[in-house]
Amino acid sequence: MPWSRFEKQWSIQEEGRILSYKDALREAIDQAMCLDPKVFAIGLDADDCYGVYGSMLNLSHPERVLGTPISENAMTGVALGAALTGMRPIHIHMRVDFLPVAMDQITNYVSKWKAMFGGKPKVPLVIRAVVGRGWGCGAQHSQTLHGMFAHLPGLSVVTPATPRDAKGLLLQAIALDEPVLFLEHRWLYKNEGAVPEEMYTIPLGKGQYLRRGDSLTIVAPSLAAIHSLQACEEHDLDVDLIDPRTIKPLDRELILDSVRRTGRLLVVDYDSPVCGFASEVLALVAEEAPEALLAGAQKMTFPDVPMPASGVLERRYYPDPDRIAAKAKAMISRVKGEGALV
Amino acid sequence: MMENAQIKPAEGLDLYERMLRIRLLSEHILEVYRDDVMETPVHLTLGQEAVAVGVCAHLRDEDVLSLGHRTHAGALAKGLPLKSLLAELYGRSTGCSGSYGGSMHVYDPEHGIHGSSAIVGGNIALGVGAALSFKLQSKEGVAVSMFGDGACDAGVFWESMNYAALAGLPVLFLLEDNQLSNVMPKSKHLYPDPRAIAANFMPTYFADGTDAISVFLSAKEAISEIRRTGRPAFLHCPTKRWMKHQGVEEEDLPFIHIDREKDCPIQKLESFLLGARMATPGELKQVRAHLEEELEAAIHYARQSPYPPVQALEV
Ligand SMILES: Cc1ncc(C[n+]2csc(CCOP(=O)(O)OP(=O)(O)O)c2C)c(N)n1
Ligand SMILES: [Mg+2]
Repeated sequence: MPWSRFEKQWSIQEEGRILSYKDALREAIDQAMCLDPKVFAIGLDADDCYGVYGSMLNLSHPERVLGTPISENAMTGVALGAALTGMRPIHIHMRVDFLPVAMDQITNYVSKWKAMFGGKPKVPLVIRAVVGRGWGCGAQHSQTLHGMFAHLPGLSVVTPATPRDAKGLLLQAIALDEPVLFLEHRWLYKNEGAVPEEMYTIPLGKGQYLRRGDSLTIVAPSLAAIHSLQACEEHDLDVDLIDPRTIKPLDRELILDSVRRTGRLLVVDYDSPVCGFASEVLALVAEEAPEALLAGAQKMTFPDVPMPASGVLERRYYPDPDRIAAKAKAMISRVKGEGALV
Repeated sequence: MMENAQIKPAEGLDLYERMLRIRLLSEHILEVYRDDVMETPVHLTLGQEAVAVGVCAHLRDEDVLSLGHRTHAGALAKGLPLKSLLAELYGRSTGCSGSYGGSMHVYDPEHGIHGSSAIVGGNIALGVGAALSFKLQSKEGVAVSMFGDGACDAGVFWESMNYAALAGLPVLFLLEDNQLSNVMPKSKHLYPDPRAIAANFMPTYFADGTDAISVFLSAKEAISEIRRTGRPAFLHCPTKRWMKHQGVEEEDLPFIHIDREKDCPIQKLESFLLGARMATPGELKQVRAHLEEELEAAIHYARQSPYPPVQALEV
């Protein structure tokens, strides 16, 4: 599959040193390894010539990048065991679709370990995985799954959309003494933006505005945030665009403040619709600010079917900036009061 | 190791035809792939044709073949019509999986292919399940789980062998061992000799996976043993992957040595058939001509077929 064809799609216009998303991840890992000898990376093909799409290449400590057999479940337990006994592992997967093989360890061990022992254990474990569709890869090589993982108590789920956030959130995830699932969208790898050279962290649970406006709140994580930004800029939409940056913990106040102001909410989520992130945000607003929804709340997600392989279907399956813009315009044009929840 | 007494001319020609069909498909993919007319990652089976073909020669339509991500050789050898596979690769609704599967997910229950999987290892268990189904329904039938050396890393490999042995199930564990998992040599991902492990659970067999006759003869023994006893067996076929793990570039790993003359299963079989006077050059030419026609027709069929309707995805 022509990985190289995923050309840079968008860059955030900011001052400062420009770095790609992939290089921002690489720099975070490199700096963390240099700072702390306990930080190591482990994963199937993490140490090969492709270096998980470049994010593992040219590190100062290649001796701390360990390859593994095709044994995701056992290796998750191995990483957890190392985390419980003094190391800070980063377990890496080329695709999130391989994580379900490790579902036992993630569900029953990793996410539970801290709470199950009265909050006493330190679990400094980061699981990195690349999400998103490829190119006719079909149902088993194109999933997102952040909603499914966020469902598990005890596991944070992080979804950076910009290079700056990729570095700051990854450093934060490595620094924490609790397990973090760090999901990187493969279509963002080549995107560029300003990234500070020094080490810095971005706290989990703090979203950000990517654009300010008064007529509609869009909440969109990961690639959906960038596509939504593109939609707003290309169509000059009056939108408050929130990138939550982390699915869990969720920046509830940021979302509620915005919706109370705009009275309209669209959640754009490149994941499955049922019991997912989009539903969670709608539930949040229905619970906490139902009076604010003057003109309806909607979600835009994948259809509730597995990803098809054929190109024509695959392109239809994934929302894109044009479809986001069309949906946003339709919502904005609705008179407030129509379709209100209360 | 070519004991011609044990293979009939018709069987030899059949192996030849099936291998060449797979080879011609690979060559067609090499020709067109860079033009993006097939939008799906392909794991080619160039150089590995003998394994699937030598085994499938002993299978009936109702016998089951459970495949992983590297599907083309196994699927065609088992009987999936070429045009259905091509239409799938071209993303058309007439494809064997209605264009929802792509190269890694083929489906043809009429020929015992109940789907293939791209998550390494899991398909081994599905073959065991098919064998259980035969047993529970008191049906004659053999299931074959086909997998690579990489899949032997996974717990499901051990768990499947254990259950198949405990339950006494008619399943062949077919290890297509190209000694590579992506760019990793086997020495880096698998510590034990998988055949020694399997020997704790079931009788094991061995064949040269670049030699169709060798595979044919070992598979014959293994499968007749399974049919006779209703119990599992293991067949180990070391072979060589000519191309990169995925895509249309040639393998260039420094530790891989391929001699396309000596290692070619098709050339090997050709010289065997001619040397043993089991076929004439004219007959082999005829087979090739017939397959080239078949391929042309299949390409035409695929390219004329409609794309699937996107309305299926409207929410
Ligand atoms: C559970 C899982 N982990 C990782 C991968 C990525 N992957 C796809 S094929 C492959 C190598 C498989 O090697 P092998 O089983 O020997 O089959 P071969 O490709 O050599 O035919 C890997 C690691 C995957 N598909 N599934
Ligand atoms: Mg292999």
